[in-house]
Amino acid sequence: MTEKISALMDGELEARAADEALELLRRDGEAADCWRLYHLMSDALHGQRQFLSPRFVERVAARLATEPAVLTSGALPGRTPLQRYALAAAASLAAVALVGWLALAPPPQSQPPLAQAQQPAALTVSLPHAANDYLLAHQGFSPRMSLLGIAPYVRTVAEHADEPAK
Amino acid sequence: MSAWRSAALLCVPLFSTLGTAHAQSDALGWLRRIQDATRHLSYSGTFVYQHGGRSETSRITRLAAADTERLEVLDGMPRELVRTRDTVRCYLPESQLVKVERRTPERNFPALLPGELSTLLQNYDISLGETRRIGGFECQGVVLAPKDNLRYGYRLYADTASGMLVRATTVDAAGNPVEQFTFTQLAIGRVTPEMVKPRHAATGWRVEDAATAPARLAGWSVNADLPGFHKVVELTRRMGESKPVGQLVFSDGLAAVSVFIEPLGPQREPPRTGLASLGAIHIYTREVANHMVTVVGEAPAASVQRIANAVQYRRP
Repeated sequence: MTEKISALMDGELEARAADEALELLRRDGEAADCWRLYHLMSDALHGQRQFLSPRFVERVAARLATEPAVLTSGALPGRTPLQRYALAAAASLAAVALVGWLALAPPPQSQPPLAQAQQPAALTVSLPHAANDYLLAHQGFSPRMSLLGIAPYVRTVAEHADEPAK
Repeated sequence: MSAWRSAALLCVPLFSTLGTAHAQSDALGWLRRIQDATRHLSYSGTFVYQHGGRSETSRITRLAAADTERLEVLDGMPRELVRTRDTVRCYLPESQLVKVERRTPERNFPALLPGELSTLLQNYDISLGETRRIGGFECQGVVLAPKDNLRYGYRLYADTASGMLVRATTVDAAGNPVEQFTFTQLAIGRVTPEMVKPRHAATGWRVEDAATAPARLAGWSVNADLPGFHKVVELTRRMGESKPVGQLVFSDGLAAVSVFIEPLGPQREPPRTGLASLGAIHIYTREVANHMVTVVGEAPAASVQRIANAVQYRRP
């Protein structure tokens, strides 16, 4: 079964075999789980880290509910019944996959507790009169200098040109 | 079986642990290379400093044999900085003023010595980034991602041939750049002593000497450390023509935050309290026990503010 599912993922199955695999996914919960897991692993291996946001499915469903229903028949002109079936199956599989991602995706990273210490927002002011002196005095202690050389000192003196009158 | 499947089914646990450790030591190796290049190479180049939609061009020259560097700002008001083994001199020709910072052994605190780079791993996830061409150099990216939002992240790009840092971008928690240093032109070697001499003789100019001295600032403390930051220096100094100012420096090995403590005389107007910023630097001022406390650091506003709010005075 797992062989069949992974082959399906890679598009290696013939049309008939693919139909069988799709049918299996629809009926068999274990097969569907396997399908989700394989997608998750594939994404992880390919460095895909952007999982869908929470409540994605609900939001899409809600949006769909407000869309006007399309009543025209033959919405997919020029396609054979087989192709239409395949598309429908793919669509439902996509939905399965979405649910899978949502179920398996790690919960959104919680903020480190330390960062949660709320403080009142500070009043924003312009640079203090002696900003250059502070920057010059501070800069020499920044360990970043061992990577950047003298470059950060440009900050020490930049402000003077912008606010000469203060 | 396709490649992803073999990897997924057979080697996921092994792959992820070994892969991470390996990538991390590679990245640390690159940081070491950058450090060595910054220290041991002579170079001259033009670099651009960008922050908040502004950019500023400077010229930097380093003569490694003399351990001397010269920075000349090419835009706006003329300014020049020369750093030698024991002093940093800032020349301001328009006000005929030289500001002097002394680098004594106590001041060269031991953060980020080559052997101690790995201590950065306590606060940052360090990994190799993409390779990219910048200013004509093939560069290797090194990413330092902070483990919390008390510090900024860094994206560094080093010339693969020499190890010289060609671009350094400081990024906030959302990954947006807050400031960036980029060499637009860089020549390694061929630096003469003449090239690192200050352009100005500065004869007759006013001299402001910081006259730093190690000290215990009696009664003053920061009652709650910012996690990952440790006190590295405590000293008294002069700033401009002010009375002696106390300075405490905290660092996480990469970023540093200074706390300045100045007595407020009765004749002085009340300090302008609040938060100001310049690129990755935040400056927060508040009044404590008739002193002005100014905290300056290349850290997010909340971190600088937190240190400032933890400063307290108890009569010794």
